[in-house]
Amino acid sequence: MLTEQRIRAFLFYLSVFIFLTGLPVILSSALSYKFDTRALKFTKTGLVFLKTQPAGAAVFLNNRLLTETTPATIRELMPGTYGIRLELKDHYPWTADVRVEPNKVVLLDQIILFPLRPNIKQVSKMQFDACFLDEEKGALYYVNYGEGSIYLSDLEGSRMEKVGDILGLNPPAYAWKLSPDRSKLLYFNRRQIGIAYLNAFNGRSIKKTPFIIEHPQGAIENVFWHSDNYHFIVIANRSIEVLEAKPTSLPVELVKLNKPAAQVFFNSRDDTLYFIDSQKAEDGMTYENAYKLELNARTFPFMDLIMPKANNE
Amino acid sequence: MNNARIFNRALEIIPGAASWLAIIFMILLAACKPVVCAVLIIVFDFYWIIRTAYLTTLLVMAYHKLARQKNRNWLDDCRRLGSGWQEMYHLVIFPVYKEGPEILRSSLKALEDCNYPQDKIIVVCALEERNKDSGRNAAVLEGEFKNKFFAYLSTFHPDGIPGEARTKGANATWAAKHAKAFISQKGIPLDKVIISCFDADTCVEKEYFGCLTYHFLTAPSPHQASYQPMPVYNNNIWHAPSFARLVEISSSFCQLIESMRLEKFVTFSSHSMSFKTLVDIDYWPVNMISDDSVVYWKAFLFHKGDYRVIPLYITVSMDVAYSHNFFRTIVMQYKQKRRWAWGVENFPFLVKGFADSTGIPLMKKIKRSYHLLESHVTWAVWAVIIMFIAPLPVLLGGAVFKQMSIGYNLPLITGMLLNFTLGASFVWVLLSLTILPPRPKDIPWSKNIIMVVEWVLVPLVILILGSTPALDAQTRLMLGRHMEFYSTPKSREKKA
Repeated sequence: MLTEQRIRAFLFYLSVFIFLTGLPVILSSALSYKFDTRALKFTKTGLVFLKTQPAGAAVFLNNRLLTETTPATIRELMPGTYGIRLELKDHYPWTADVRVEPNKVVLLDQIILFPLRPNIKQVSKMQFDACFLDEEKGALYYVNYGEGSIYLSDLEGSRMEKVGDILGLNPPAYAWKLSPDRSKLLYFNRRQIGIAYLNAFNGRSIKKTPFIIEHPQGAIENVFWHSDNYHFIVIANRSIEVLEAKPTSLPVELVKLNKPAAQVFFNSRDDTLYFIDSQKAEDGMTYENAYKLELNARTFPFMDLIMPKANNE
Repeated sequence: MNNARIFNRALEIIPGAASWLAIIFMILLAACKPVVCAVLIIVFDFYWIIRTAYLTTLLVMAYHKLARQKNRNWLDDCRRLGSGWQEMYHLVIFPVYKEGPEILRSSLKALEDCNYPQDKIIVVCALEERNKDSGRNAAVLEGEFKNKFFAYLSTFHPDGIPGEARTKGANATWAAKHAKAFISQKGIPLDKVIISCFDADTCVEKEYFGCLTYHFLTAPSPHQASYQPMPVYNNNIWHAPSFARLVEISSSFCQLIESMRLEKFVTFSSHSMSFKTLVDIDYWPVNMISDDSVVYWKAFLFHKGDYRVIPLYITVSMDVAYSHNFFRTIVMQYKQKRRWAWGVENFPFLVKGFADSTGIPLMKKIKRSYHLLESHVTWAVWAVIIMFIAPLPVLLGGAVFKQMSIGYNLPLITGMLLNFTLGASFVWVLLSLTILPPRPKDIPWSKNIIMVVEWVLVPLVILILGSTPALDAQTRLMLGRHMEFYSTPKSREKKA
């Protein structure tokens, strides 16, 4: 019993010794203090944390190679600016000048090292004039004006199929907009809007002829589909108009814009248009501000009148 | 309220107030001064790592001693001491409340199977009169064990004796007083009787009484010592759910560790002592829940601080408290741990005793009071600090704290603590496997794997039962809401 108690006493005092000697080391490390053996005093340091995607990059600090690779923590750095370079085989190096402050951490944890030879893959081997991406459905559309056809493939370029006919614009369209139900494609330049019918995703072939609506009354800035898949909102340089997706459609001017090239945003979830313009308020004064135009059936009676057309189409 | 009552209430408030102040202080610090809070957490984490390493080493040493003495024939050792052992009698009291013959039978059978003359053993089955089945249970057990020992007595503790609470100590005291009358009538000197007070489910090892007698006869001043066997919970451990098993194994480990720290060692659960001393100190407390430890402090005060606990490196096996429903098991374990944590009532008892007593060195008074207070406060706050307060500086410190070196290092150091604890838990797993009883035939072999894998539940056990029962008990004492004795229900699978 006595021997055991002696061993225990030894262990106890050993624990106390480890605690008392280890604690200053741990605390100074945690607080980024470094003991300067020459000056015999603690000095404040900082640290840098490096994390890369992919991991395993060699770390150069002021052109000196460190032993650790990313993710890496460089401790006990005296305050100042350091040149950091990260190198990974077959990847572009990453360099930065990093300012280290006392008792602080520099977190560089969103570094991406890009490969030297990007992984480029040929998606399609066919000739086409334009291409656009349907992010929501994960599909690629290809337009061949010479052939007057629209094709569709998945994101890998496989399962290519013709999904509709298209008429070319002059000059060529610079933007393409799919209707929410993917039954129509709207494309436009500054003076013309083309409509093409698609048979993708609904499984049935639509035998409708594509058409072009001329828009001579003002340069087209943008076009948005209404959620009814029949109307679309045209943002011209001086007006906001609504049109029907039919060859003889005439524009209805909803808002006269006082500022040229006004900023316009469309929330397709509730068919609400936001724009920045100078408009006359209820008090008769004109304010340059953000405005909201609700175009859903519940809040916009005009749409109630033309909705049946959409349903009867 | 007189001065004594005010003094007593102040002492009751101190442990809970200290625990709550420590927790609230740390939370406020995390919000207002996260760097200072983080420094304190790192200090505590490092202290906890060192403490875990130290206590795990003590556990290994205690276990080594237990293993070394496992197959020792203690009765032969007694014989080698001379004829003195033959004069000794063992009085064994089983305080019983709701436990029936199915629980007590195995405990009594273990006594019967002991490698010790049964004609030196007096058994008292101490039943509660308020349990309507007591008479029938007593009759059943008397029928089976009446003639197996020197004497077998059944006592019935009446309910509602003035000054008593419904506690195990009150029942045991009633039984001990009856036993004293019986022993005196038989002409047996009280100083030749060693009393063991066992929980109803306590099954002693075959060599228990030989080991106890040997230690009693060889100890200097044997009447100024209690004798503490190592409690294990092996009776139903193979059938108990993992959660309950882990908790009870941890309890066994705590007791093994405490057995190495003699200056802090206090009696716990089933234990033995001189009957003469018990009579001298007027038996167990009759109105306190933690009778097992208070009886030690009573003897300590009676002998002016010259009283100690001698560890017996022999096991007594009890039941793991569990139910067949997981949540009921948690509740049951929680209540049992809260009852143990109610041992904090020892603090006002001891300090009052020190204030009233002369002859105990002041330094000893301060040290023992501090040890008692510190152990209960640590119990109530350690898991809260490690599990809940450690992440607070990062959560409440904001962007500025996250840019600080310490904000970056704090989670790393806390993680280091967790990794170290995991490392230490490998030692605990190994030791837990070695103290297991043989696997019953109705238990599949795969349960061996579960016995290892279940240790991943340790964080959950710490979360639920680490500090909360102690904090609960201390808060109740602080608010003057005294607890009633919770008799842990015993449940065993029927053996095939």
